[in-house]
Amino acid sequence: MNRRRFIANILRIAALFGVAPRVVAGQSQEGSRPMSLTEPEAETLSKWCDLLAPGAARAGVARYIDQNASGGFGDSMLLLRYLDSGAMLPFYRGGIAGIEQESQHRFSMGFARLDPQQSAEIVAAAAGSKTEAWTTPDPNFFYFISRSDAVDMVYGTEAGFARLDIPYLAHIAPPKPW
Amino acid sequence: MSDHTHDPVDVVIAGSGIAGGTMAAELAEAGFSVLVLEAGPQRKLSEMISSQIWSRRLRWAGPEVIETGDLVGAANFAMGWGTGGAGLHWYANWYRLHPDDFRVRTLHGKSVDWPISYEDLRPWYDHAQTYFGVSGDAKADQWSPQSQPYPMPPLPISRQSQALKKGFDAVGLSLGPNSLAINSQSYDGRAGCILDGWCDAGCPIGALANPLVLQWPRAFKAGAMLRHNAYVSKITTDPSGKRATGVEYLDADGARHLQPASIVIPACHTIWNARLLLLSATDHHPDGLGNGSGLLGRHFTSHALTTIHGLFPDETEPFRGVTGANTLCLEGYDDKTPAKGAFGSRAWLAAQATKPNDLLGLALARPELYGAALDDYMRRAVRHYGNMTVLCEETSIPENRIELDSRKDRFGLPTAKVTNNLPKDNAARSDLAKAEGLKIFKAAGVSEPWAGQRAPMHMIGGTIMGDDPATSVTNSYGQTHNVENLFLAGASLFPTPGAVNPTATLVALVFRTAKYISDNRAALLR
Ligand SMILES: Cc1cc2nc3c(=O)[nH]c(=O)nc-3n(C[C@H](O)[C@H](O)[C@H](O)COP(=O)(O)OP(=O)(O)OC[C@H]3O[C@@H](n4cnc5c(N)ncnc54)[C@H](O)[C@@H]3O)c2cc1C
Ligand code: SF4
Repeated sequence: MNRRRFIANILRIAALFGVAPRVVAGQSQEGSRPMSLTEPEAETLSKWCDLLAPGAARAGVARYIDQNASGGFGDSMLLLRYLDSGAMLPFYRGGIAGIEQESQHRFSMGFARLDPQQSAEIVAAAAGSKTEAWTTPDPNFFYFISRSDAVDMVYGTEAGFARLDIPYLAHIAPPKPW
Repeated sequence: MSDHTHDPVDVVIAGSGIAGGTMAAELAEAGFSVLVLEAGPQRKLSEMISSQIWSRRLRWAGPEVIETGDLVGAANFAMGWGTGGAGLHWYANWYRLHPDDFRVRTLHGKSVDWPISYEDLRPWYDHAQTYFGVSGDAKADQWSPQSQPYPMPPLPISRQSQALKKGFDAVGLSLGPNSLAINSQSYDGRAGCILDGWCDAGCPIGALANPLVLQWPRAFKAGAMLRHNAYVSKITTDPSGKRATGVEYLDADGARHLQPASIVIPACHTIWNARLLLLSATDHHPDGLGNGSGLLGRHFTSHALTTIHGLFPDETEPFRGVTGANTLCLEGYDDKTPAKGAFGSRAWLAAQATKPNDLLGLALARPELYGAALDDYMRRAVRHYGNMTVLCEETSIPENRIELDSRKDRFGLPTAKVTNNLPKDNAARSDLAKAEGLKIFKAAGVSEPWAGQRAPMHMIGGTIMGDDPATSVTNSYGQTHNVENLFLAGASLFPTPGAVNPTATLVALVFRTAKYISDNRAALLR
């Protein structure tokens, strides 16, 4: 399916970015399994997601994605399961590799070392389907999915609702954020 | 060769969702021995955790569907997996098809006619609304075909609806309370809705009619059996090819089982109903069971959906209400030719409760925003957001279809491939609706409303019913034309989709079929 259609042609490039703290696994530490992603991979993913939804790194987005992409499909809590029943971890690994590729191509540096303006350029390129080196997985689709993961962590938990100052109103409260 | 052969039952049903669960309860109560084979795991009310993150665990985890065409992306979101199927996370918008939806070919020379009329289905709709418990205001709902008042008054009008109503009033369209299989007060031993907006994650208090509180307690009480992690892979037939003898299924370890039965009923949802019949080809039925017409898998349809969003001057409390829709506009539904070159009915479902995250959440309503811009938007949206959805009719054409692909799924079975292209005049209809929606939002005081991309919603057809075995897969009871004890249940039977959510209709059909099976018990069980 043409994943680009999810947001193609409707993207506007936002100019404002938060500063990305170098928090990798996150302080929530919900999962207990060892990470499948390597530390540099997790670091890239964490920084990336934090640019999409500031606070995602601190909330543990890398671990959230890692644990939910590495286990059984039926247990996964990731939005990706609605849109693709394929293996999840390779999708994320591919996206992380794409970010690095684009970073090397544009700035001859790993993504972790880019300054906020440079990192912002890569996010904008993926969001606007304007990457030059990164082709697969579709950067625009990867942006869409990883942004949703970041949103889950920042706005979709009880703490996220509190941050937005809206009542949670649970029937059955989540035993933990994820 | 099968690894395990089980004791025969009267009826085996594949799928424990609303279609399979309702059929199981009805037939068990009528005295049949009934076994349901469910591909997914056992589900409990305690798994309905109020979280858009946790709720994803209730979703489809079966084989992948390959989707091609203009309208893609519905499959994994639309299907359930485990006890109750999608009934655990449906939104309970409850509508009847309109009389003209049953005669689209006769009236407009397009699509296909149903073999039955609205009048044939009317008593079953009436029965279904009492069985499920439907709230609504039949008087205000004058554009929908009604015969009996709804069993419950409507839910209160939400702040989001109040904001939207100004726009509808301004353009001269009527917005009224929605009809929902959600209790506005306690009903049939189930609690009333408390408007917390968590329906998408499941309603553990049972205010929203879901199979764990409605069909399965009845079915179990009547002696129906339910086996989980049982993936039905084939319907078996006798040497004549005229009767089904049971089904083959795979358990969680991949072991093969044979379940003999006198009556076989796939209720696996649209795509899997058609695929199961295609997978069950034999020498007598080389193109699949029920495929004498060559139309098995064809006439797949969906609803072309467009969402309209905006930030209202007033506070709207979008996180409260029901996920389905608080209000409804069916005015104009019956005009299927609203402009030259545009075809199909449309229905507006307004004021859906919206939480911050997930596919239909606040953040994904503006996928282009990120970073600080996203945060600014989120803080405003949680107070001022409003939305509505238009469902537009898709014409039923044979080119849109479900077929087997050469690729194999994880069970080693050919993958299902779905082609869904929206005919031009339906796309034009959908464009008109989008313009109408944006106009309504502007009239309601939203300065910059926006529309989401057109997407498919609901999967319908593929095993369509009809009078003529040359142009349909089953008769009006869902009984396949050439295998007398093989019935289908679900929206796969609909020849046309109308422009309303399908579950009230699929349930009305289940009740009608169950009665037919009961009435013909001796012939079918022979
Ligand atoms: C988010 C959402 C909101 C919705 N809201 C509305 C609404 O407001 N109003 C409305 O009318 N409709 C709505 N629907 C649609 C509604 O949920 C469906 O029409 C209805 O649930 C279909 O029931 P079913 O039993 O046919 O299929 P399902 O509920 O999908 O059940 C099919 C079952 O079959 C099982 N299965 C599949 N293949 C096999 C196999 N080979 N062997 C054994 N078992 C198998 C599956 O695991 C599943 O449990 C919504 C759907 C979704 C996803
Ligand atoms: S809003 Fe009502 S129907 Fe929906 S989950 Fe809450 S109580 Fe149930």
